Amino acid sequence: MARKIIHIDMDAFFAAVEQRDFPQYQGKPLVVGGMPDSRGVVSTCSYEARKYGIHSAMPAARALQLCPQAIFVKPRFAAYQEASRQIREIFRQYTDLIEPPSLDEAYLDVSLATACRGSAMLIAEDIKRKITAATQLTASAGVSYNKFLAKIASDLNKPNGIHLITPEQGPAFVETLPIGRFHGIGRATEAKMLALGIKTGRDLKKCSRELLLQQFGKVGNFYYHIARGIDNRPVNNHRTRKSFGVEMTFQQDIDDPELITRHFQDLLNKALNKLQQKKLVARTITIKIKYANFDLITRSRTLNSPLMTVTSCSRLVADLLKKTEIGTRKIRLLGVAFSSLEEQVQSRSGVRQMDLFA
Amino acid sequence: MNFIIDREHLLAPLQHIVNVIEKRQTMPILANLLMVIKDEQLVLTGTDLEIQIVVRIKLDNMTAGTVTVPARKLLDICRLLPSTAQIKFTLQDDKLKINSGRSRFSLSTLPADDYPKFDEDTFSYQFKIRADRFKKALDKTVFCMANQDVRYYLNGLMINISNDQMKLVASDGHRLAVYDDSIEQQTGYETRIIIPRKGILELNRLLDDPEADLTIQFSDNNIRICINNLIFSAKLIDAKYPDFSKVFQQSFYPQIEIQKKTFKDALTRVSILANEKFKGIAFDINSDSLRISTHNPDREEAEEELLIDYPGEDISIAFNAQYFLDAVSNLDSELAIITIAENSSCCFIEDPNDERFKFIVMPMLL
Repeated sequence: MARKIIHIDMDAFFAAVEQRDFPQYQGKPLVVGGMPDSRGVVSTCSYEARKYGIHSAMPAARALQLCPQAIFVKPRFAAYQEASRQIREIFRQYTDLIEPPSLDEAYLDVSLATACRGSAMLIAEDIKRKITAATQLTASAGVSYNKFLAKIASDLNKPNGIHLITPEQGPAFVETLPIGRFHGIGRATEAKMLALGIKTGRDLKKCSRELLLQQFGKVGNFYYHIARGIDNRPVNNHRTRKSFGVEMTFQQDIDDPELITRHFQDLLNKALNKLQQKKLVARTITIKIKYANFDLITRSRTLNSPLMTVTSCSRLVADLLKKTEIGTRKIRLLGVAFSSLEEQVQSRSGVRQMDLFA
Repeated sequence: MNFIIDREHLLAPLQHIVNVIEKRQTMPILANLLMVIKDEQLVLTGTDLEIQIVVRIKLDNMTAGTVTVPARKLLDICRLLPSTAQIKFTLQDDKLKINSGRSRFSLSTLPADDYPKFDEDTFSYQFKIRADRFKKALDKTVFCMANQDVRYYLNGLMINISNDQMKLVASDGHRLAVYDDSIEQQTGYETRIIIPRKGILELNRLLDDPEADLTIQFSDNNIRICINNLIFSAKLIDAKYPDFSKVFQQSFYPQIEIQKKTFKDALTRVSILANEKFKGIAFDINSDSLRISTHNPDREEAEEELLIDYPGEDISIAFNAQYFLDAVSNLDSELAIITIAENSSCCFIEDPNDERFKFIVMPMLL
């Protein structure tokens, strides 16, 4: 039997919360995120701002150029978290299978739900109504038989919209979809696909699994399936943290390798402290570099033993930096992430192996 | 370019070269080996940019040329041909044709000019040693090297040459092996180098002819070893090996002599019930017995008692069973000599008949 999946996506969430709490912003182009005189980027913007071409992840300075009368505010995460908590409470009235990938969206598996005679469309409408009543915010809903299509559906009638993609419509719908609209296909992959002559779902469907695996690696399997409207990923209500990271954007682009090394020291200190607090150890370290032109690269390394000290990590970072273009290109953002996380067993059991050189 | 060669002359060199080549490549040409035919010789080269192996094979029947071909495929083809096969290679345009009996293959090639050059400095140091003598030193040490430790200098083997003496040291921090031998020549220098783990493991596999005379040359950054018709080259680890001398400079309890086989069997049995992650086992030593025991989180227990003659004060100490077993298994005599430091900071494991090597295992706190 086909599953019933709902994707709920809050409309311009951060901006909408600001416009609700500060009525003077209503009906105005509002940008939440970095300030235009800083080097921050747009986190969310109101629909009024989107008319000027402003969108998420755009430098705030660019947003100001596009719309000089825009209002810029800094995010107030506490308020967004509170609203997010309210909507999750509403979801729980219908199902326990809730997966919130971020504050402003969630997947719900309502296959076994009994409310509204089990109709996913009616449940989605109910949820939208309750969200607006509780938070004075609007949400859009996508209803379909898997996560991939539900997510695309929620985007179709935004804002305050709802859309259903039935199992009968699914495969044909995917065929007409431009490749850039596929979630999970980012700008880089899109460019690669276009270069291969893949413009729509129909083109993607024509590609053999072998070709996709060869061109895109493991994720090729995912593309092969979604081109046929198939996505068996479950709604995962107990996602555990897989990685831990910190990053910083600079006021001015930097290129001095010594300065970069110093910033990495700070980032490593912060990230390792966080890990320590969570009683976790990591075996994989990933560095992230965003060049001045927004090209983003990552380099990572996995060891057999846990990474514990700033000194040992610094050495790995120095190695990884050799595989980047530091020194020759300007850099706007640096980040460090730890993954392959494990609990700190060693200290708990009290067993300790003595080391000759420690 | 063409040549004819017996399978048996080609197989072993190909195997050595393929061992060096990485399975996953950053540059496609690194999956290939370089073939150069010139002066009645076939010269084969393979590298992962950290290690390089070059083999020279004499040819009777040939015309000169150079090319690179997929190494693993070439090995598999030669390996699976009949053992007495004669193989004919011919370069035709950009394909290498391989004919043998009724078998025909055509391999893709890449231009030899694109093959990466392995940079080497001028070698300032040199010594000679017989392969069997060097191999014994490697066999007694390499098992203690670290693998992917963040202390990168431990992921290798340290060789110290001091005039006519050679010292090899390997350690992962939890245990250490040291081997001292004479090289029976006055080199007149004192220096130390660290050879990376992969290089050492490959080198050890190349020393299958015990009577070969090795010429070992090195600089601060590179090492090159000539073994008969083969040249092994590797980049060195650029670091200072940590100081391990303190471990020798302390007071010890009297030594304990144990039958190696009895000891090894007891260790193996007890370790069955040791905690799978830490492999911890406890030693309780008094004047006439060594008690080895362990327990695990499931509350299972094991205990073995060995009779010994020990004139010192009682000792309680714990170790990783695997480290102890590795060391004891590498002794050649029937007896094992165990010596524990007075502050219980480490344990020496030695062979009563061979003073050249010593193993040191660091204890655990259980």
